[in-house]
Amino acid sequence: MLWSLLKSVVAITIAALIIAAVLIALGASPIGVLFALCEGAFGNWYALTDTVVKATPLIFTGLAVSVAFSGALWNIGADGQLIAGAIAAGAIGPYLGAWPRPIAIAAMLIAGAIGGAIWGGICGWLRARRDTNEVISTIMMNFVAAQVLSWTVHGPLMEPSRAYPQSRLIAPSAHMYMFLEPSRLNLGIVIALLLAAGCYLLLFQTRLGFQIRAMGRNRRAATFFGIPIARLTIGLLALSGALAGAGGAVQVSAITHRLYERFSPGWGFEAIAVALVARLNPIGIVISALFFGALDNGSQAMQRAQGVSPVLVQVIQALVIMILLAFDTPAVARLRASFGVGAPISAAPQTGASADA
Amino acid sequence: MLNAFLSSTIAMATPVLLAALGELLVEETGIINIGIEGAMLSGAFFALAAAYFTGSILLGLAAGIAAGVAINAILGVLVVNLSVNQVVAGTALDILAIGITGVFYRRFFGITGKAFMVSPMPRIDFGPLTRIPVLGALVFHHNILVYLAFAMVPVVGFILWRTRYGLMLRAAGERPEAADALGLGVYRLRWHALVASGVLSGLAGAYLTLAYANTFVENISGGRGYVALAVVILGRWKPWEIAAASILFGAAMALQFGLQALGTQVPYQLFLALPYALALMVLAGIGGQAASPSGLGEPYTRL
Amino acid sequence: MLIARDISRRFGRTLALDRVDFEAAAGEIHALIGENGAGKTTLMNILAGRVRPDSGEVSLDGAPLPAGSASRALKAGIAAVNQSPMLFERFSWEENLALGGFDTSGFDLKKVADRSRALAERLGFELPPTGASIEQRSVADRVRLEVLRALSFDPRVLILDEPTGVLAPSELAPFLDLLRRLRGEGRIIVLITHKLGEALAVADRISVLQKGRMVARTIAAKTSEAELARLMIGQVAISVPEAARITATDAVALKISDLFLNRDGYRVLDDLSLEVHAGEIAGIAGVDGNGQTELVEILAGARRPDAGDFSAFENGSRGRSSLAVIPETRDQDGLVLDMPLWENLLLAGPLLSRLTPRGWLRRAGAIALCRELLARFSIRAPGPDAPAAALSGGNRQRLEVARAIACDPRVIVAHNVCRGLDIAGTAEVHRILSAFAAAGGAVLLISSDLEELLAMCERLFVMSRGRLRETPVAERDPSRLGLLMAGHWK
Repeated sequence: MLWSLLKSVVAITIAALIIAAVLIALGASPIGVLFALCEGAFGNWYALTDTVVKATPLIFTGLAVSVAFSGALWNIGADGQLIAGAIAAGAIGPYLGAWPRPIAIAAMLIAGAIGGAIWGGICGWLRARRDTNEVISTIMMNFVAAQVLSWTVHGPLMEPSRAYPQSRLIAPSAHMYMFLEPSRLNLGIVIALLLAAGCYLLLFQTRLGFQIRAMGRNRRAATFFGIPIARLTIGLLALSGALAGAGGAVQVSAITHRLYERFSPGWGFEAIAVALVARLNPIGIVISALFFGALDNGSQAMQRAQGVSPVLVQVIQALVIMILLAFDTPAVARLRASFGVGAPISAAPQTGASADA
Repeated sequence: MLNAFLSSTIAMATPVLLAALGELLVEETGIINIGIEGAMLSGAFFALAAAYFTGSILLGLAAGIAAGVAINAILGVLVVNLSVNQVVAGTALDILAIGITGVFYRRFFGITGKAFMVSPMPRIDFGPLTRIPVLGALVFHHNILVYLAFAMVPVVGFILWRTRYGLMLRAAGERPEAADALGLGVYRLRWHALVASGVLSGLAGAYLTLAYANTFVENISGGRGYVALAVVILGRWKPWEIAAASILFGAAMALQFGLQALGTQVPYQLFLALPYALALMVLAGIGGQAASPSGLGEPYTRL
Repeated sequence: MLIARDISRRFGRTLALDRVDFEAAAGEIHALIGENGAGKTTLMNILAGRVRPDSGEVSLDGAPLPAGSASRALKAGIAAVNQSPMLFERFSWEENLALGGFDTSGFDLKKVADRSRALAERLGFELPPTGASIEQRSVADRVRLEVLRALSFDPRVLILDEPTGVLAPSELAPFLDLLRRLRGEGRIIVLITHKLGEALAVADRISVLQKGRMVARTIAAKTSEAELARLMIGQVAISVPEAARITATDAVALKISDLFLNRDGYRVLDDLSLEVHAGEIAGIAGVDGNGQTELVEILAGARRPDAGDFSAFENGSRGRSSLAVIPETRDQDGLVLDMPLWENLLLAGPLLSRLTPRGWLRRAGAIALCRELLARFSIRAPGPDAPAAALSGGNRQRLEVARAIACDPRVIVAHNVCRGLDIAGTAEVHRILSAFAAAGGAVLLISSDLEELLAMCERLFVMSRGRLRETPVAERDPSRLGLLMAGHWK
């Protein structure tokens, strides 16, 4: 357990060292970059609150990825599911003007969750009933979602003035509750925290959660003991999609108040790094999302101060993922055992297959 | 009008076809390479950077190839030698490529405002042939990479289905432990395919910057690597069908550009979503899964 | 001369081969016999360069072979045929053969086909029509194709792992003739088998492996099936356990009727019927791969039979939840190795229902139950929170048995439950099962270990090719049982 947490810290440290080397090669100062990142993420009240705001969608998508990965369903489609949820919320948002605010907000969230659940559930159905690799189907559905979004903001949902490819503003009653204005802090982070707690309870305190984890760790044994694999697969990808979709709805309700093209900067992909750093633990997701949210937020200041592109953050994400993957291989486990750090879990290679034999 | 459409179709199909042929090779050895988008993007950036600084298209192509191979080599260490989850590793490489190309691009070109452009790759001069109606625009109107891409279709098909080496590659993807029992060397074969795919995706990327856009914008590949994944499925792992699927994609792209330019009411996004939606339908229908290599995506470790 | 000296190989915690010496001479058929798990296949894989031994070396005609390189072994002239054919299912048979040793410069599949047909004709095989993929071929066809592929390397040494298991009786004689002809060409033939008659009929010399050790090498002409069966099985005490005799009742606890299962065109289960009574331990003996795994999967509910049914009875009424199954491959089917012990208990349906009332997990209850089971069954574990992987094989097995008993079933079906356990571990598992039967439970013990079955069971069945035959007490001597297990049912 300790080593498992340590892994993430070590992975981030190694990634940081590599980044430092790259920065020196580029002629920038690693210390300066680090300082600018921290300044941008935590330097003042507004920066601090915006770190939380930037982490919020990552908690939603991170949870989506982590529950699916817990069942060994490799959902690469959280981005598309988030967009599907955003479209659903953005579509009903303008018509909620007559509704009381709490109900309008709830309607937005439910619409988002349903949109995402459909998007994910399709891939679950394809996997369970048509034996279609969920990796491919979720990737394909990302692009379908992006095009549907583009079509809706150019077409049926386009603002009445038709000046820009964006949807009408949602009704004020559908706006998320905001805190401590002028900061952008909002109820979304509370919802995210509640969902994280909910996912934790689901995975670790319920029968269903046990069945999901058993399916993820050993599909053969789960089958042997009569766990309903097919139903679980459809339900889990729908749940995963619902989480991401709710994240999209929160973003529309709290921040953008409308839809436009390229709505997601890649929250669904960043979620993979978030989930792996958290070791798929829903509570860990919150911390991990805050870390990546802080990186995203600080990267703007880094560009201003050091002239380094904010996409450096993505290099960090990628390196952290790759290092964590390598840590979990038998080869590295043996190496580790020979240094006496942590016990090797098992002699047999872990099942990490993306498709069934 | 028709000429522009035909010429544009082929131009749009070419990078996807190059990448898809590489993806086909890798998938036949049992690896699903999600990182192909990253290899393409890296190829695109480094090809242009090298061409820009040296003034040589040839060195640009070489740099593009090197970048594609480098990305695939990282993937090779992770998925072949360390047997990690292929999907997650591939996604990480896509993110890495976006990051690296973005950082380099903005460091050297973003702030200075220098025009990061090169002159386009020359078209091959076919003289009067170019003026043949329809055929001229379709066939005799392109640069060398286009002809290379289409020439690779029979080459890849020949290697995979008409040589013993291709049979060995497919054996590695079909049942790796049986291939190793016959002494075929699964790790080695998978590395070969990864390097070949790196070359092809690097070229695909180089095509985007050197021949098509003549400049670089961030994330210029824009999902074409994923289109290549879809095209391999659409083409049901057969080179000629993959070529047809690539042309279908190119036509859809060319058509949506045309529709946008004309300002019609037809939703052009329909055409952009088409390759993905079709690939999903092929997968869901009969025959899709059956045509993919049996061992695709399974981590394999030697005894 | 093929010589292996001092070969050892360990897989995880089990020592598969323990300082084994082996030799086979040119122009000889050398049979390698032994029970399941004796290490035969591991030895083949080491000879063929597919597995690297921990120690020891292999040499052919005086030249040492590099360890762990299949391609070098093939080049040196060692080809092997696997027990379950290692063919490429979706390739045509010509393509499968083209990956063999024929000269394929130019990659002319027609030439490969012609040469294969020529070779097959010489060996008395029929080959499928041109271009047929392996998928639709019968198992016997597959074995022939793999033998052909091995011979395409023109090997000096041909090792065959249980090649005759899937051949029809009428196909056997020509196949043994083929082996003799290959011997006549001066090759070294190593035949791995558990069929003693076959070994005696065709082999010149016979080596016997028992639990990873080479216990005997004899000349075929100077031995008998009875002697070989004794060597293979080792010391066996024949006794009918007192406990079982006393507690067995007339009440039927498990009734299996007329099970049929077909796969790949042959019968896996063939009209299998069986009754087990409350209070008794019934045994099914047999060599692995005669349908036992499928039978267990059907009883566990993980597989559907083509025909037939089974029911477990509790006080005369039917109920499937009163049946607990302990699978053979505990690390793949029985446990989730990187989950804690208490969570592994939850895999069993009845425990999962009991410990998750209304869907909520009673974590404390599960941990308490786990702690109680660890104590009651003397399972050596750091604690309920330790991952299953941290346990030794014996303790993992005890955990599975404990889990089955905790389900409070009327019937326990246990498959090869003591494989890989040491003497103490085996005795402990046997004691638990006996106590369960003495308390009125029914046990169906399916095993390839005769010694275990003879010690535990009053009623004993032998399973061969999906059929079941009861053996009266009079028949229970090792050589007779060895013959029955090998399919001699007269």
